[in-house]
Amino acid sequence: MWAMIVKEFRQLRRDRRTLAMLIVLPVLLLVIFGYAARFDVARIPTIVVGPGAAQVAGHLQAPFQVVGIDPDAGRSLVESHLRDGTAVIGVVTGGGLVLVLMDGTQLFSVETAQAALAHMTQAAKASGSSAPSLSVQILFNPHLKTSWIMIPGLTGLILLFIGTLITSLGIVRERQAGTIEQLAVMPFRPWDVIFGKIVPYLLLASLDLMVIVAVGMLLFGVPFAGNVAVFALGALLFLLVTLGMGVLISTVSQNQGQSIQLAIMFVVPQILLSGLIFPISSMALGVRWIAYVLPLSYFIDISRGVMLKNMPIAALWQWLVILTGMAVVVLGLAVLRFRRDLAPSTRRGRVPAVLADSAAP
Amino acid sequence: MTVLAQARRLTIRFGALAAVDSVDLAVEGGEVVGLLGANGAGKTTLIRLLLGLLRPSGGEALLFGALPSMDTRRRVGYVSQTLGLYDDMTVEENWTFTSAAFGSGRPAMPASISASSDELVGTLPLGVQRRVAFAVAFSHGPELLVLDEPTSGVGPLSRARLWQDVRDSAEHGTGILVTTHNMEEAAQCDRLVVMVGGRVAADGTVAEVIASRTVVEVVCDDWRKAFAVLDGAGLVVQVQGEVLRVPGSTDQVAALLSGHDLGVRLAVVPANLEEAFVSIVSPPPRR
Amino acid sequence: MRWGLENASVKFGSRLALDRVSLAAEPSTIRVVVGGDGAGKSTLVRALVGLVRLCQGDALRPPKRQIGYVPASAGLYVDLTVKENLAFSGSAYGVVGSQLAERSAELLERIGLNDATERLGGQLSGGMQRKLAVAMALLHRPSLLVLDEPTTGVDPLSRAELWRLISATAAAGTAVVATTTYVEEAHRASKVTLLEQGRSIATGSPRDIVSAVPGALGVVRSKAQPGGLSWRWGTAWRIWAPSGELPEGAEPLQAGFEDAVIIAALVDQEKV
Repeated sequence: MWAMIVKEFRQLRRDRRTLAMLIVLPVLLLVIFGYAARFDVARIPTIVVGPGAAQVAGHLQAPFQVVGIDPDAGRSLVESHLRDGTAVIGVVTGGGLVLVLMDGTQLFSVETAQAALAHMTQAAKASGSSAPSLSVQILFNPHLKTSWIMIPGLTGLILLFIGTLITSLGIVRERQAGTIEQLAVMPFRPWDVIFGKIVPYLLLASLDLMVIVAVGMLLFGVPFAGNVAVFALGALLFLLVTLGMGVLISTVSQNQGQSIQLAIMFVVPQILLSGLIFPISSMALGVRWIAYVLPLSYFIDISRGVMLKNMPIAALWQWLVILTGMAVVVLGLAVLRFRRDLAPSTRRGRVPAVLADSAAP
Repeated sequence: MTVLAQARRLTIRFGALAAVDSVDLAVEGGEVVGLLGANGAGKTTLIRLLLGLLRPSGGEALLFGALPSMDTRRRVGYVSQTLGLYDDMTVEENWTFTSAAFGSGRPAMPASISASSDELVGTLPLGVQRRVAFAVAFSHGPELLVLDEPTSGVGPLSRARLWQDVRDSAEHGTGILVTTHNMEEAAQCDRLVVMVGGRVAADGTVAEVIASRTVVEVVCDDWRKAFAVLDGAGLVVQVQGEVLRVPGSTDQVAALLSGHDLGVRLAVVPANLEEAFVSIVSPPPRR
Repeated sequence: MRWGLENASVKFGSRLALDRVSLAAEPSTIRVVVGGDGAGKSTLVRALVGLVRLCQGDALRPPKRQIGYVPASAGLYVDLTVKENLAFSGSAYGVVGSQLAERSAELLERIGLNDATERLGGQLSGGMQRKLAVAMALLHRPSLLVLDEPTTGVDPLSRAELWRLISATAAAGTAVVATTTYVEEAHRASKVTLLEQGRSIATGSPRDIVSAVPGALGVVRSKAQPGGLSWRWGTAWRIWAPSGELPEGAEPLQAGFEDAVIIAALVDQEKV
């Protein structure tokens, strides 16, 4: 039995990918749960409008962060800011009433704000000054339902799984079986093979997406307030990024086990750091930048924004451009590498042999 | 010589099918016995019965005169098709692991493989890997060795060296049972056992297995035409360069080839092992 | 049409896997490349069909549609049925419809799989898988058929049938190039190339190669290995004297093809 233990350790010592996982994963989880996993929000962007704006703004302290004051504007300005995501809370003053509008898609910000307001009212009463009467309205997700927030996020998760994990498995299976060699010799153009491999997963993912949205709407009552075309565009761009990632993973994996390992390392951080579960706004700055590198973060914003808030494309175009950029880079790289497997000898002559990854004799 | 492994009317049934059917077989110390057969002939099942991995439905399988047990396991060495070596460990580490597993102390590595003792097995050429696998299986001094296709995929010089190792151990009294698909390997064995459908169809030296089988050798001006004719008539034609070899009688072959103006010269020659095997193993031609 | 490799070299990083190899693939001819593992056989055929780039020399081959290639590994889809495998290969080469049906039936009959068309590739035995892979490469009647170790690990019955299929293909006009580690298979070819460490050390018909054996070959029936260049054969030793002078106690022996191959390898080793 001792011999077995020694042997297992020796083999593990040489298995770099598993070692990486053993070290990286705990560190990752530590960082995440230490710095990123917070449900309380430290700063809530707030705008204040109406004749009493300046005065009210003066009273607002942390966690409220006043990002705009406009005495001449009214409710409609607040609504458009909330819709755009530039503010989470809007205070409308005037007529003796203070109306607080909250963005219901930011669950934790809203809860933090509600607690803060209650605290402020208590403090005012305790010190004897008169507290203005507050009226609170929650927009976009009036009942603060978690399912309404999660399901649009789930759509992103599905696209991520199918695009990355399942696609890479499908391609690596071919490499493991040794049939990629034959594809290279048959009269296929590299594009035929690449698209032939990607298109089924693209269609499957799109189908899955529609099913989830439908179920979300029918079973959980999630609204689809926005523009279907914008949503579809965002989904397509995100899917291209994940498919590209899947192909890329397959070009550096020799077997399905390896591709699963890589896919996990790519997917797990996105689940935890993209705003799917823990709000990005409450992540410590040192960790928050990671969220901005992950494609899922952008798609979740798009997905939630379109479904719940009817976000216009004018507010989303930056995210769409970023996703497009990511898609171009990742897909481009993936296709370049895959082509090398499929058409290694397109030129003769004094060129050093470029060896396809799977071809070591 | 002592009988190391023996099968007596050995039978095993899986459902209605007898995978091994009343097989008699003996492996003595110092001899190399080759087990030859098509797929599904029962070779692997027979080996597993002899090693005690399966229990027979009828007859008996004896190892060192007794039923297979944990003790007998220590006296048997086995090299599978996939070598059973760990690619991600060095030769030395593999050696240590196996020695520890069999409790054979720390025997010294033989010269044939010690040169590569610090190399990862996965980086060695196949011929060397096979020699390592053999040495490792032999490291605990087994009296019986079972080798599964020991030289598959290896070049002629490496094959000769490997068989050197096998012969050396036979000379020390080890009994060796080899399963093979390869006529060259089979030709190296002292005795061959040919299996068909779970039964023994032939048992003897290479010469005895070939017996007095003959084939007709055809030399002519256009081997392709002759091939097309004979092949089309349903005969099992083997090509060697531009010479054809067909089972049957010269009259039969001459009759088929007449009228094609091929300048045919026929001769009756002894069959080779493969031709003998095919005629033992296959049913008579349908057409 | 003249196909093959002309002075071809292939480099993997700094390692020279193929060193100025020339090899001709002629119609109606079976050429077999013999060599041990690591000799460069796979690299050679992959250079021939265009899977690896040459760093020197030329590879001449017909267009993709006229090449049939059977790699050393499976070459078929284990999760598709026999029929589906053939359909896929056919459609890649433009063999569809009634043409596909006819040709498939012909080949399936030949390899004995006509009753098993609905069986999954993964359910077939190793020998049957290989036969199916060869059939897939023959659907479009290629003018060049390249096979990489087609019979390694294949049971003897399937091997015999495979060679009949290959011979029939050559008889019908195809140029066939196959690699093998089995010397007796090389004996079936009309042209043989011996490959050792990426170099072609002998080439020609089997008879040419045997008659080109220099020195003298002898048999020594002793237990101990005799000095000099010797190797085990059965219970005796074969010894080769490059000078032609056999040592004491060695009986002279006429070299067979296998002896010639081993001697060629020994000659090559001595040179290096």
